[in-house]
Amino acid sequence: MLDIAGLRKTFLAHGSRVTAVDNVDLTVRAGELLTMLGPSGCGKTTTLRCIAGLEKPDAGRITIGGRVVVDTERNIFIPAADRNIGMVFQSYAIWPHMSVFENVAFPLRVARDRKYRESDIRDAVGRALAMVRLDALGARRATQLSGGQQQRLAFARGIVRTPSLLLLDEPLSNLDARLRDDMRAELKRLQTTLGLTTIYVTHDQAEALALSDEVALFQAGRIAQRATPDEIYRRPASRFVADFIGAANFLPGTVETSSDDLLSVHTQHGAISCIRQQALQPGAPVTISLRPETIQLHATAPATAANALPCTVTGRTFLGDILEYAVDLGHQELRVRAPANRDFAAGDKLFAVFDTADCLALTA
Amino acid sequence: MSTASLTAPLATPSPPNRRRQLGGPIIAAACLLAAAWFVLIPLAGLLYTAFTEDTGSGPGAFSLANFAEAYTDSHILRLLANSAIYAAGTALLTLVMGGGIAWVVERTDAPGRRIFHGLALLALAIPGLLTTMAWMLTLSPNIGWVNGVLQRTFGFRTAPFDIYSMPGMIWALASHAFPLAYLLLAPALRVLDSRMEEAGIVAGARFRQVALRITLPILRPALLSTLLLLFVGGLASFEVPRLIGKPAHIYVLTTAIQDATTQTPPEFGTASALGMALLGVCVISVLLYRQATRHAEAYATISGKGYVPNRLPLGAWRWPVTAAAGLLFLIALGLPLLTLAWQSCFAGLALPFLPATAPANLANYRFVFRYPIFLEAVRTSVIVGALAASAVIGLSLVMAWISQRSQNRLRWIVDALAFAPIAIPSVIVGASVLFAYLLLPIPVYDTIWILLFAYIALYLPYGMRFAVSGLTQIHRELEEAAEIAGASMPQIFRRILLPILAPVLLSGWLYVFVLSIRELGASIFLVGPGTHVLSTITLTMWEEGDSYGAVCALSIIQIIPLVAIVAALRWIESLFARRLHAAVPARLAIT
Repeated sequence: MLDIAGLRKTFLAHGSRVTAVDNVDLTVRAGELLTMLGPSGCGKTTTLRCIAGLEKPDAGRITIGGRVVVDTERNIFIPAADRNIGMVFQSYAIWPHMSVFENVAFPLRVARDRKYRESDIRDAVGRALAMVRLDALGARRATQLSGGQQQRLAFARGIVRTPSLLLLDEPLSNLDARLRDDMRAELKRLQTTLGLTTIYVTHDQAEALALSDEVALFQAGRIAQRATPDEIYRRPASRFVADFIGAANFLPGTVETSSDDLLSVHTQHGAISCIRQQALQPGAPVTISLRPETIQLHATAPATAANALPCTVTGRTFLGDILEYAVDLGHQELRVRAPANRDFAAGDKLFAVFDTADCLALTA
Repeated sequence: MSTASLTAPLATPSPPNRRRQLGGPIIAAACLLAAAWFVLIPLAGLLYTAFTEDTGSGPGAFSLANFAEAYTDSHILRLLANSAIYAAGTALLTLVMGGGIAWVVERTDAPGRRIFHGLALLALAIPGLLTTMAWMLTLSPNIGWVNGVLQRTFGFRTAPFDIYSMPGMIWALASHAFPLAYLLLAPALRVLDSRMEEAGIVAGARFRQVALRITLPILRPALLSTLLLLFVGGLASFEVPRLIGKPAHIYVLTTAIQDATTQTPPEFGTASALGMALLGVCVISVLLYRQATRHAEAYATISGKGYVPNRLPLGAWRWPVTAAAGLLFLIALGLPLLTLAWQSCFAGLALPFLPATAPANLANYRFVFRYPIFLEAVRTSVIVGALAASAVIGLSLVMAWISQRSQNRLRWIVDALAFAPIAIPSVIVGASVLFAYLLLPIPVYDTIWILLFAYIALYLPYGMRFAVSGLTQIHRELEEAAEIAGASMPQIFRRILLPILAPVLLSGWLYVFVLSIRELGASIFLVGPGTHVLSTITLTMWEEGDSYGAVCALSIIQIIPLVAIVAALRWIESLFARRLHAAVPARLAIT
């Protein structure tokens, strides 16, 4: 449906060229919701704006539904107005001088390919507004709507022309936390019902995990990993990915032995056994990534445990449903999340126990 | 709501693109060419006239004779010294007066603050030409009524005030320029976070130490840049030197330039050589100003979150402070207005507060309305003002859009073109437009068109300021959303930008209109036997000196509509602020 190849975009900032998007390739299947996730300045928004036609890339080719909209080699650039895209902006970009109805009707009124009859417009706008449950408010001035309503209005405007592609640029970032959860569910429902191919830009990893069919995590203008939410959380490809999505502990070490499905990694706290994801020669430097919720604290080391490192509790934070501990392995601190029913105190000598399947040896 | 109705297409998808209209680029190019014409042609005329031989019947071969003649004149040092003293004096006095009002309005809890703000804005509507005349009728040693009243009451042998002096000129300009200083300084004082001062107090500093070591250094960029602008304003001012300085034989650059062009034969070469000096100083000052304000961000005093604009509680001093500020307005603004209004009702010299020799009447007003040139001048002023305002706002909108929105690397040219005239005094604009169109085979001399060309060049920067500030307040995504929706460039202008910007453009239009109506410095070069504008007939009527009463009636007739327009402008601006506020989600408005 959407195909991006070799996308590159640089900006001139304070006299020097800054590369915002650096050779990005990306494919999105029809009907899929892909999230472009990353810290600010990672290139996700620039990529989105290149897809929309609001930025002209320096190099690359973008195809939407089989139609080439950008090809720098062949000097093709279809302007945004002719791409038939729906877009919801971070600021919503609701036109303040128009009514709710007119905001949604605008894409139909300015359409150059055909003239919509007034009755067609009324019909299409009515259905779009009904979908976001604003049908009773069509005559209101757009500025009289609440934040959540403006958000839904922006969505209705984005879908009224049945776009081939829907782009959402941090659409929930201006909402209160409660409203954000509701709108997230509603967006997902609308997107699935309409079956629209959707690209969703956010810096919020929880949003990305909850909404997406697939996540593309951006790092410094490149895609660090592209995978399903489940996979990107469980099998991060690099330290950056593990750190950005969820929380992670990192232990440096070197590969000692490598068997068919297990690695033994030498660290300064002892040998750690983890599953083998890729072929690694003994002696290769790796970083072990360990999620805080996969570590258990025990007073004595269970005999069956694959990994049990002696540690001392140094901090304890009560978070309601869970307790978060800081434990010291000796010049290395680990974050541990445990159910609130087991309680340890600072100074307790314990064992940090974790499964081989929960620790990953990362090379980057 | 069934699933079927949801999944059915809302509207038929559009087929692939069609050719984009070229309307946008053509309009943009036309506007740029027009702006370049209005700004650069006069400057070329000035340069050409300055560097060629003045034959008396037009410029000849390349020569530096004009400079030699202008700058070896025995009076040149006197002239430059006068200009410098006059400009620096008014800048300082204006800064003190305007800064004081700004402090009272923005930093204290003195009562009546809003009234002072309103008065300052209204004061800007009153043409400087008229207040200057009023000061002469008030403080002239011979006919000034305040001198007369004081002499009679206290038995002074000589008049205590003499308006025909350098201090008199400085006072006359400062009295109508201080509201500008207030408007320039008020924003800086408004955003000064009082917690910075409180931190100083907590650290153990006394009030005086806080003022000298915290408040003043924080405000220094704002103070210096305001001082520079006021200095340029003083150098460029024409009304006061022309009305007061000329009879007092205190010449400054602006009056010397104008004088040279009215000699027989006219000394255009000398005028333009002197003009180069004035232009040079003004351009350097404005460049310094831009330099100063560029770094002002480092001193950004507003920090977004949790900013506390605390006002200084004056306690027992609340009313005395208000009284002092009120007195300043009463003297600087009230006295001239009183003089004009009072004198407009009498045929002979009137003395307010003393028993009148003849009863007050409206004969002067009847005279003005029957004065044949008056109606013609009103018509010309209104027509040229309206045309200039429309042209300036139209050009500004397109140029502001290019400067704010386009990615083009050459957009600094647009900025430079639009803002350059801010450094060009009206006298220079008038002289250079005159020279340029005398050289060019375009027969606009002694028509309203030559006035129009001058006004456009003069007020383009003001129009730009309105258009740029309006555009920067509109989130760019409003236009991008329209582009995504399929709108073309002209459609985005017509259906999104123009309706949202309408109030700001209207107030910019009115502002340029008011400025054009009160313009004198350029107009005086450009009116001919067949064209008259309000300011030039007022000056003529004053200098002919037949009837002070009639000139004052003419002044009051100008002041009332101008003040009304400025009041309307205020109201429109508040409307725009409300509309925009509603357009931005609350969370974005804070960040």
